[in-house]
Amino acid sequence: MSAATTALGDAARQRLLEARPMWRIVLGQFVEHRMAVAGVCVIAFFLGVALFAPVISAVTGLDPNRQNVLARYQPLMSWEEASPSERELRVQRFLESGDRTALADHVRRLGLAGADLPQDELLYQLVSSNEPAQLLDLLRHGPTPDSAAAREQLAGFERVVEDFRSFHLLGTDELGRDVFIRLVYGTQVSITVGLLVALISGLIGLVIGSVAGYYGGRLDALLMRFTDTLLSLPILVVLIVVSAVDLGKLLGGTPLAFITGHEHESVIKMIIILCAFSWMQAARLVRGSILSIKEQEFVLAARVLGARDRSIIATHVVPNVIAPLLVAVTLGIGNAILFEAALSFLGLGIQPPTPSWGNMLHNAQEMVQHAPMLAILPGLLILFTVISFNYIGDGVRDAIDPRGIRR
Amino acid sequence: MTGFILRRLAQTVVVIALLSFFCYFLMTLMPGDPIDEMIAANPTMTAEDAQRLRELHGLDRPVHERYWNWVTMIAGGDLGYSRTYRVPVSEILGRSLLNTSLLAGAALVLSLLVAVPLGVWAALRKGSRVDYFVNLFAFAGISVPSFWIAIVLILVFAVYIPIFPAGGTTSIDFGMTPGEALVDRARHLVLPVLSLSFLSIGTFVRYTRAAMIDAMSNDYIRTARAKGLSWDRVLIVHGFRNALIPLITIVTLSFSTLFSGAIITETVFAYDGVGRLVFLSIQRNDFNVAMVAFMISVSWVLLMNFAADLLYGVADPRITYS
Amino acid sequence: MTGAKPRRGIPTRTAWRLGLAVVALLVLAMLYGLAKPGMTGRGELPTNHGLKIGITQEFESLNPLIAQMSATFYLYSMVNRTLVSIDANTEFTAQLAVQMPTLENGLARLVEVDGVSKLEADWEILPAATWGDGVPVTCHDLEFSWEVAQSPYVSIAGPELYREVEQIRIDPENPKRCTFLYREARWLFNRRFQFYLLPAHLERRVFEAYGDQPEGYEKHTLYTTDPTNPGLYHGPYLIREVKLGSHVVFERNPTFYGEPAHIDRIVVLLIPNTGTLEANLRSGSIDMVSTLGMSFDQALAFARRVENEGLPFEVLFRPGMVYEHVDLDLDEPVLVDVRVRRALVHAIDRQRLTDALFEGEQPPALHFVAPADRWFTDDPERLVIYEPSRRKAASLLEEAGWTLRNDGFRYDAAGNRLRLRLSTTAGNKMREIVLVYLQDQWRAIGIDARIQNEPARSFFGQTMRRRLFDGAAMYAWTQSPEASPRSTLHSAEIPTEENGWSGQNTPGWANARVDRLIDELEAEFDEDRRLDLIHEIMWHYTNDVPVIPLYYRSITSVTPANMTGYLLTATQVPETNHVEDWNLEPARGAGAGERQP
Repeated sequence: MSAATTALGDAARQRLLEARPMWRIVLGQFVEHRMAVAGVCVIAFFLGVALFAPVISAVTGLDPNRQNVLARYQPLMSWEEASPSERELRVQRFLESGDRTALADHVRRLGLAGADLPQDELLYQLVSSNEPAQLLDLLRHGPTPDSAAAREQLAGFERVVEDFRSFHLLGTDELGRDVFIRLVYGTQVSITVGLLVALISGLIGLVIGSVAGYYGGRLDALLMRFTDTLLSLPILVVLIVVSAVDLGKLLGGTPLAFITGHEHESVIKMIIILCAFSWMQAARLVRGSILSIKEQEFVLAARVLGARDRSIIATHVVPNVIAPLLVAVTLGIGNAILFEAALSFLGLGIQPPTPSWGNMLHNAQEMVQHAPMLAILPGLLILFTVISFNYIGDGVRDAIDPRGIRR
Repeated sequence: MTGFILRRLAQTVVVIALLSFFCYFLMTLMPGDPIDEMIAANPTMTAEDAQRLRELHGLDRPVHERYWNWVTMIAGGDLGYSRTYRVPVSEILGRSLLNTSLLAGAALVLSLLVAVPLGVWAALRKGSRVDYFVNLFAFAGISVPSFWIAIVLILVFAVYIPIFPAGGTTSIDFGMTPGEALVDRARHLVLPVLSLSFLSIGTFVRYTRAAMIDAMSNDYIRTARAKGLSWDRVLIVHGFRNALIPLITIVTLSFSTLFSGAIITETVFAYDGVGRLVFLSIQRNDFNVAMVAFMISVSWVLLMNFAADLLYGVADPRITYS
Repeated sequence: MTGAKPRRGIPTRTAWRLGLAVVALLVLAMLYGLAKPGMTGRGELPTNHGLKIGITQEFESLNPLIAQMSATFYLYSMVNRTLVSIDANTEFTAQLAVQMPTLENGLARLVEVDGVSKLEADWEILPAATWGDGVPVTCHDLEFSWEVAQSPYVSIAGPELYREVEQIRIDPENPKRCTFLYREARWLFNRRFQFYLLPAHLERRVFEAYGDQPEGYEKHTLYTTDPTNPGLYHGPYLIREVKLGSHVVFERNPTFYGEPAHIDRIVVLLIPNTGTLEANLRSGSIDMVSTLGMSFDQALAFARRVENEGLPFEVLFRPGMVYEHVDLDLDEPVLVDVRVRRALVHAIDRQRLTDALFEGEQPPALHFVAPADRWFTDDPERLVIYEPSRRKAASLLEEAGWTLRNDGFRYDAAGNRLRLRLSTTAGNKMREIVLVYLQDQWRAIGIDARIQNEPARSFFGQTMRRRLFDGAAMYAWTQSPEASPRSTLHSAEIPTEENGWSGQNTPGWANARVDRLIDELEAEFDEDRRLDLIHEIMWHYTNDVPVIPLYYRSITSVTPANMTGYLLTATQVPETNHVEDWNLEPARGAGAGERQP
């Protein structure tokens, strides 16, 4: 060893002696795991999609719940026209949103519709008797109106007519809803459920694991027996039984009763149920690392100095279990997403019209031979997301593993 | 040893008993009761009739009393009556149990056959291109939703390239010889087994690889090599033998995952097994079937874990039960 | 494996590779051995040797008194028959009975017993009818099922029609003849096609042994314990094999009293997943799909495919008697005003709905009587017909005090938005789609309609039964032809706490005139007079709008292209009731002379 040390230059020795903060070491390790980095990118993308779902919806003008029963099961990259009733509705909204007299006069002058009709009838007739593309052509290539008011109103009307045709990048589903925007909102729902479940169950695991590990004895034995039993159960079977329960019967009269009838009842229910059955792995990990820390000198010293249990747990133990917990939580996200998807696929999870990847697959199953993309796309998203979280978890584990730290 | 086994067995039995009550209680919390459903199906049913039937089935009594009746019935060897199929539960359960064991067993064997060599291979070539691809495959295995892979398999191998049946347990054909019937049965198993194996292959590969890397980095491997033992001997006796213990753990633990997967697989492939039975009976409010099927599946998994504990002793000479 | 570089690395690696290759090869070889190119629907057509039918709905034990699922009755009609039935033209006909007793032919008589007017009818069972083991079918079988149906320990699906019969007197000379005494003089007595027969010579023993235990008879009936016993059946087929949750194998019954069936053997295979069902059809694992098979959407898509690809199938549609409708909760404040309810009907265009969604294959409904029913009318003189018109809908709402605001919704004077809760069974795709369509239409006249679907179990089990739907709920019921609408329209049938939530008048419609009309209708023996009565009920129904009629569901089925003699029925009597006419080899069918018994 000494021979090696002397062989080092001063600069190199300096570098070696320089204390690097832990997070930089870990980060350096993590960055070396290429797949984990790729996973982070994928997740960042999906998170962005989830966060900006309303923005995407606003920019593209697509609404996840707008159906068009006349354009169901459209293939990828298809144009679709709004149904007559939808057109009428939008013209009505346009008429209600301001004064349209100048526009009506302009249309009358163009002779596009019966001159004797009242203003609103005139516009209705205009949109119902012409194809949108044709109508746009007529409006755009006609003479420009003289007054500014008419020009402005005409532009507004052109936008309304333009919106009659919409583009569906990924086609439409069984209700004629746009698959792309539903996938975007599905991302929001599925990732939210995954993140919340993993975080909450990580917390539950932390509490149970640290209590069991720190106090030991009977309490530990009892808690761990309980944890092990839950771990060994066929979870999906249990989840199916639990999710069939009528929340109203269970929560009636309790402070949680507000969940029943809530707009997002099925999402909240799903999160609660999944949390109840996914904290065990975290609890075991936490307990394991606490058991090993507990015997170390600094904890003993703190105790000798008269520190209370609570402060020992908070200041010494918890920081040391953060790392394994982080791994458990990351891997937990993927699992939660998978379970949510499985339950929704069986029709027990998130209820329509709220889109989630799982229930989109549930809906697509019946017509899978006629519209295979409806089933393939959500599944691919699940696969990408979960595999990314798993790789990230793997990367984090490698990075914080002291045995693996290289300089 | 015997003391340990007895204690462990007693624990398992207690857990099963507690679970059965928990599950029974949950079932009473599900919406509607069987009589409600009969009324929905038959609008002309009178209130007196409904009341009579509720009393007949004991639905008007408190949960613990009903639970106790159920337990005594089970203890008496009567599994109850299925309200969906209108036959005793025992009539339908046997066949689906057999079917599920067949499916899960075949999936387990297939995944071990594929996963263990892959895992060992990847471990021996740690960091190489092979390792990278095996890893990717394993990660895909644990990340892919099983229902989706099932749908994709149906699309590819039953619709686009129709070489396997899209579902079902057997095709009832006229005048099949026993040999043909066997082949037919196997054909129906192919896609479900493939889809069920994906997850366990992924898990097994990762554990085999990790365990093998761990085992091979031990000092005694170097010692054994230094003693001049052949590479194969070192690999199998010193390396693989030590990697086997964590592998056994994960294989036994995977019974619960396999069972969960079976529910999905059986549902998508319309395969006549216990998993589908649990799912359907819960959906249809068929208490007796749901309870028995649930208890059997849970007990099966718990007993498997118990067996695993015992197996450690065989695989790892360091463990003794006292 | 840092330090452990193998000395003889190459051969070892080869060995490992070899091992891997062998495993891979084994797996692949097994798969290859099992793979069998399917026929993608272009295979051989089935022959009279055997036919494989796919169904998606579960079936249960075949005891007709206990069974409740429609799939069970689909199977049951192949093996058993009842006294009367409804044929494919929706006419009531005698089947196992020699003829239908009526007042006109003198086989039925109005009688007075202790001052109460009752009815007596003579029934005679076909002389040739025997159970599969050769024992004749007699009135003892009728009497036995009548007894079982009234047992307090058996859960019978529909005991009411057995209870109508007060007494059965069997002719001591000829047990094939008997006289039924009915408690009330009702013209419906001779149309009880759901009065099933149990074989007394086999089942009486079981009933006597276990009939006094709860569920005792259900558990021990031979239909469960020995379902292949030929003595349980007397129809054109016998059961050779039953596996619940999987399949049933039927074989021609050599002792059948009617014309022997053409097809030797029929297998009904349960494939509970509609997508898988279709794949099985295309791969030739099944030859046809029953009416309990594809979803309507799927059948439409499949019909297009059959046409485009020239597949050897025929996709059949027939409007049935399943009446899809929206119940309005008449106790819901916004729906109390009949003008609002009428506006709801004016706002929807049912013709366009069925054209857009069902390619016109499911006819729009005007009221609860289906077009196949003798009672049907679309006479504008006798009904109130609401033509689709948003303008009319809007003016009705204005009249009712709901004014449109700038946000496109209507509000009352107090500023409450016109809200309506819509619900149906979650998971029923067709209904979900229709509901969405309705939501769309109603939103266009300023109604804030919100969809809140529930799983079928809680929807029917609780919400509908206890009238908790608070708004509009879409579902369907199956009408029998010429059936009294009592259970759905009479005010005594409004589910309440007091009547144990029985009855199906879920809208809560109480119209004293209609109540009286229903009472009269049930006791009226004159057919023309009955028609007037029911039409008046229909007028009130369409005038008061307790329910928005939507459409009559069509039944669909896929048959092999060479099949003849197959007719879809509009009613609950399934098409298997004439299974003996099904023929896959018309050429042989032409020389049917030798087939006569």
